[in-house]
Amino acid sequence: MMTIVFILAAAMLFPGIIVRSKSVFAGRKGPGLFQPLKDVALLFQKGNVISTTTSAVFKMAPSIGLASVLSATLVLPFGPFPALVSFNGDIVFFAYMLAMGKFFLIIAALDTGSAFEGMGANREALYSMLTEPAFFILIGTLAMLTGYSSFNEILVGLYNPHNSYILIYSILSVIILAQIMQVENSRLPVDDPKTHLELTMIHEVMILDYSGFDKALIHITSWLKFALYSTLIFDVLIPVQWSTGIQFGLFALVVVLLAIYIGFIESFKARNKIGRNPAFLFTLSSLALLAFVVVLILTEKMILL
Amino acid sequence: MEFLIVAFAATLIYLSAAHRFRVFARFMGVQGVLIFGIAFLELNEMATANLILVVAETLLFKGIIVPFMLFYIIRRTQVFKVHTQAMPSFYILILNAISLIVSVIIAYTLQNPFINMVFMTVALYALLSGLIIIVTHKLIISHLIGFLIIENAVFLFTIALGNEMPALINIAMLLDIFVGVLIMGFFGMRLKPDTGELTQLKD
Repeated sequence: MMTIVFILAAAMLFPGIIVRSKSVFAGRKGPGLFQPLKDVALLFQKGNVISTTTSAVFKMAPSIGLASVLSATLVLPFGPFPALVSFNGDIVFFAYMLAMGKFFLIIAALDTGSAFEGMGANREALYSMLTEPAFFILIGTLAMLTGYSSFNEILVGLYNPHNSYILIYSILSVIILAQIMQVENSRLPVDDPKTHLELTMIHEVMILDYSGFDKALIHITSWLKFALYSTLIFDVLIPVQWSTGIQFGLFALVVVLLAIYIGFIESFKARNKIGRNPAFLFTLSSLALLAFVVVLILTEKMILL
Repeated sequence: MEFLIVAFAATLIYLSAAHRFRVFARFMGVQGVLIFGIAFLELNEMATANLILVVAETLLFKGIIVPFMLFYIIRRTQVFKVHTQAMPSFYILILNAISLIVSVIIAYTLQNPFINMVFMTVALYALLSGLIIIVTHKLIISHLIGFLIIENAVFLFTIALGNEMPALINIAMLLDIFVGVLIMGFFGMRLKPDTGELTQLKD
């Protein structure tokens, strides 16, 4: 239960910290920390405008997206606090719950019949497909390292003070997961949430037809994903054996640092050309493969016939 | 120390995906500094004078002089981007990932108690990455970068055996002299960065 409370708290603060850090980097006064929350509250008060060409899929997609991310939250532990639901193979459940939300958003974009939204859906599907191997190699390496396939058991079995390779693996995991988080939430350098040109949009173009309540749900889903990946990064970085007070402090630090990192990237880095994105995303899989190979060698688990 | 070797391998992934020569030059500097760290930590049984020579050579030549020369060549030739590749970066990265798997298989096949397996794998991976950059890029500066990576790979091999065979490292340093001459070819002889298509030749 603690995991859900902390993920919800992190989700509410994450977008505000990004916005604040962007305004600080740009030297502007900028909006307040809770401005994104106020924007969403405003969206909740507005009515929906739904195109007549759409079907039930379009109406269902934002709710399913939010439900799938909340379901993924259930299997994720937070430091010493176990996940609410835990079973063998919950690492696969986690990945495919997130994928299901994305799948429904993609078919909802296709459902509108708009050429632009179809184009965005196509790009989103491609980028998800390219980040999936990186995530699975990384999680598979965790499972191989510990011999378990459930987040709860993996994180307890991960930290052995005699294994120096844990540090290597943790740092590579943080680099890869931070970049997957950027891609999954459609942020720079892969996508630009502030772009106004439909031709260069990816995620934004998919949700062009949403308004009011549904759009608020989509924003909340995105914030939850930020918090979800932040928790995952925190889990692979900080040993569960550390005291609870330190864990709370470090979790807050991880969330704030990740939000500032995203604000920093969005302030100082240009967006990739669309054609360069597949290569950028494949570097994540290559890094995950490198982590896998190094762990394979150091744990002496490779067997060649 | 394994951390430095893994960081070295990570630079190879980014070098394979790089499009700007400034990125190449920067990563060659990073590789030089990483090799300096690896040599300093690994060669603890070597004679002090020889160790000083090795670490000075890695830090000064690989970490500072080579990137400086590469930046100079980029500025002078005004060639900033890899315009011509034999295949898109995405496929180069796939080849690179395959080369990592091939490297680990070869390293396991050749394993012996004197060589650290991570060293062996990353050195082989660097060797193959350098070769992939050479065969997939068309500009001669890219070929130079590929050769520098191969040279770093050879140096990693020699560091892996440095405590048992110190003379091997000195032989590897001779290769640096060759690299120096090659870079000076661009530096002093004003070689063209792009040979272009050989369409104007007459019998």
